[in-house]
Amino acid sequence: MHNIFGGLAQGVIYSLVALSLVIIWQSTHVLNFAQGAMGMFATYIGMTEIDRGLGYWWCVVLSVLVGMALGGATERVLIRPLYGKPEINPIVVMVGFLGVLEALAAAIWTSTTRNITEPFSQIYYQSHGHLVFLSPFVIFQILLAMGIMLTIAALFRFTKLGLQLRASALAPEVSRLLGVRVSRMLTIGWILSAGVGAIAAVIVASGSFGLFPTNMDGIFVAGFIAAAVGGLESPIGAVAGGLLIGLAEQFILAYWSPNVAPLGGIIILVVALMIRPQGLFSKNVSRRV
Amino acid sequence: MSWWTTLIKQETTRSRVLAVTLLTLLTLAITFILPPVADSELAGGAAIAIVILGLSWLIGWSGQISLGNSGFMAVGAYAAGIWAHHHTTTPLLFTFVLAIVAGGLSGLVIAIPSTRLRGPYLAGMTLAFSAAITPLAQNFTSVTGGEGGLFLNSLVTPHWFTNLFSGPNAAIDANAQWTADLAVVVAGVMFFIMANLFHSRVGRAMRLVRDNEVAAELMGVHLSRTRTMAFVIAAAFAGLGGALYSLLEASVRPETFPLTLSITLLTLMVLGGIGTLSGAVLGGIIFSFSATLVAHVNSLTGVNPTSNVGANMQGIIFGVLLIVTMLFAPRGLVSVKNPLRRLFRARPLMRSAKEVH
Repeated sequence: MHNIFGGLAQGVIYSLVALSLVIIWQSTHVLNFAQGAMGMFATYIGMTEIDRGLGYWWCVVLSVLVGMALGGATERVLIRPLYGKPEINPIVVMVGFLGVLEALAAAIWTSTTRNITEPFSQIYYQSHGHLVFLSPFVIFQILLAMGIMLTIAALFRFTKLGLQLRASALAPEVSRLLGVRVSRMLTIGWILSAGVGAIAAVIVASGSFGLFPTNMDGIFVAGFIAAAVGGLESPIGAVAGGLLIGLAEQFILAYWSPNVAPLGGIIILVVALMIRPQGLFSKNVSRRV
Repeated sequence: MSWWTTLIKQETTRSRVLAVTLLTLLTLAITFILPPVADSELAGGAAIAIVILGLSWLIGWSGQISLGNSGFMAVGAYAAGIWAHHHTTTPLLFTFVLAIVAGGLSGLVIAIPSTRLRGPYLAGMTLAFSAAITPLAQNFTSVTGGEGGLFLNSLVTPHWFTNLFSGPNAAIDANAQWTADLAVVVAGVMFFIMANLFHSRVGRAMRLVRDNEVAAELMGVHLSRTRTMAFVIAAAFAGLGGALYSLLEASVRPETFPLTLSITLLTLMVLGGIGTLSGAVLGGIIFSFSATLVAHVNSLTGVNPTSNVGANMQGIIFGVLLIVTMLFAPRGLVSVKNPLRRLFRARPLMRSAKEVH
């Protein structure tokens, strides 16, 4: 039972990363390999303000805003020239951006782990003398992530902006004819996605994992696997995939070895893609001729 | 493009043998002039060039992207390393074959699910593979030596070679020279094989699959088998490169194969030029002298090389280079026209299809 809590706590982070990947994928068909690194970089900029006496919550807000700005700028500068080019080109550019961000972060803030004083206790609750893998921080982590996911879902479903975003992803030409500013929608998609990614990075940095330049690498890989298992097209699939990967890793970790845990994700991905190559939650049929 | 790639383009085996042999001999001659430190750097570059060549073949010729080549390198290096650690007297050729087979097999395992995937799925899948491989090496400590790795001393300099050298550091100089020559010869052989593969049946089928799947299927090319083949070959090259690199370093350790190595490989490949032999040579050369290059940049900009910024200069430069090349010259350095050569070149009445493209 306690493993389920641990798995869920890890899983919601993967879900957030997966969700941020899906938002970009839906609108621009780019897989953002720098997603984790962008969140990490924004977290560094925001959270180091704690040293200058800014409160924790203001730092969180600052991190997310910086992340969103970074996302918008990335789309305008790095991605925009590559629309219509072979799909390898944006992948290579984002991989390069990942390298730059991680090296820059190490150059500016050193690669030693920083622990951010978290707003909630990390100490696990006990029940009948046994540890339950549930602390105030873990509860906060799960609730915050769920809140963000619901907000994003509501934004896409119930607002005019959400409708425009969905329309320009689904049929760019028709949307443009109907007066939607598609290119602005693409930028907004990147901004939203980067914001979600920054929140995931803030949660990771505030937890026991801490903040260091490569702290999002493994989490990005798991988040990508989650998104791919869900089919890259489906936000619900991304969230479900994240929880699945989180739980699987937690059980491998508990019963075998932490070093084997990354392999668990790959096995899930392979099995899922064998069953449904387009992803478990994707409505699209595969486009083979 | 240099004269020797033009030679290779004449589609005869003899001209390819000639070109690769000439280049290998030329490089061997250079190793006699270079100081020992530069020799060891060149040896590392030759090993990396083999990996880049495989990657170039995979991305340029079959159109599949892989971020897992550091993983394939690790598999080859560990297969060769574990064997060579326990059997120090095994002939090198056997160790290399072992690395090629192990690398190729790991490629096959990854290819079977991966060839169903396209672009980003494939990139992510291979990235996940290379992320999972080093923790695995750290897990089975009794076999792999864990964090510290295994010590290797298979590259023994023969006596007759050492005898050619004199002076106080004769043994060390001879060793640097010998390992560099060995690495260059191995790279030469692999370049020859790849030059032939480019023009083989598999190579032509692969280009067709990349450019037009439907046409390929109509011609009777088996799509997934061809894609799998591309992966296996690229992984075999990476396995050999990784093993050679580890033998040169005299140990096989997890920290040799970090996730960032895949990024470095991709950068070098894109910088040199995707899908070309000369691009892989260029990539290897850039790798050899990247440390010297970065030191130069540090001293030019006045950055202290031991400071944080100095230590991470390489990552920053490589990343920026990768982005800039991809945005402005996506076909790499070999595609950048030499302005001098344009002046002296005779103007052809009709351009070949390749140039227009």
